[in-house]
Amino acid sequence: MSDDMKISSTTPGGAQRVAAPNYPPGDLAIWIFILAELLVFAVFFAAYAFTRMNHVELFNEYQATLNRDAALINTLALLTSSYFVMRGVVAAREGNNAFCARWLWAAVAMGVVFVVVKSAEYAHHLGAGVSLSTNTFYMFYLSLTFFHFMHVILGMVILVAVAVKAHGDGYSVEDHTGVETGASYWHMVDLLWLILFPLVYVMR
Amino acid sequence: MNGIEPTRQLIRPCTLVYAVLMLLTVATWGIGRAGLSGLGVSLTVLAFAMFKGHLIGDWFMGLRGVRGIWRWVVVLWLLIPGGLISLAFFLSYRS
Repeated sequence: MSDDMKISSTTPGGAQRVAAPNYPPGDLAIWIFILAELLVFAVFFAAYAFTRMNHVELFNEYQATLNRDAALINTLALLTSSYFVMRGVVAAREGNNAFCARWLWAAVAMGVVFVVVKSAEYAHHLGAGVSLSTNTFYMFYLSLTFFHFMHVILGMVILVAVAVKAHGDGYSVEDHTGVETGASYWHMVDLLWLILFPLVYVMR
Repeated sequence: MNGIEPTRQLIRPCTLVYAVLMLLTVATWGIGRAGLSGLGVSLTVLAFAMFKGHLIGDWFMGLRGVRGIWRWVVVLWLLIPGGLISLAFFLSYRS
């Protein structure tokens, strides 16, 4: 990001104002990847909603079997992890690798909460004999949430890699693109869940 | 995050954004817990989600301080599933 920013003016106090950059934080390649992921999920969300049109009673009946409390915990966990990641990025921009690593480890811990709670949900449903072929609602529920679950796992792997590098003093004020890149991916994972949660668990 | 403001000044607004995100999430859960349904309720919950997504994009992903099309990329994306989901729910209640 810093390559795209230009110092545009100086305030009366002497602080430099920086012109808005042309590109989002992080490596541009991750944003192309994020766009592709967002579009794929948009198709899935639309497919769920339009399929529901022809099976409203079935979707409402089986939506009621889902654990909304678990979904609440997971949503709060992902939002909290995103906040922690934002704090990690701020620390990295200030050149504080130790703080950056701590915030990122805290974010990973929130990711672990999500994984544990979601796994418990899957265990409950699979234990009750639910599968992809049980009915259309469960087919969408399992495939949509599991696809997202895989993104959470990948996001955690990325955050761990970035945290380890930060722990080893691998970033600086001048070069912290890796932190911003990992953060952007993790925020995307959060963004997707923010639509998935009301769509699958609440809207009826 | 914003390229204009000093980085540390982002913490306070981002913390406020985090609080709003948590409140809207609990409100969404409360609506589900109360068993509320209907087109108006569904669209309200969806609007909460889209607003939350907008906040994530602007403040956490740092798009608020970016120029050009990248500034709006998350908002534009939110309009795609948001619009299609709204249409599907509208049609399901109309039929």
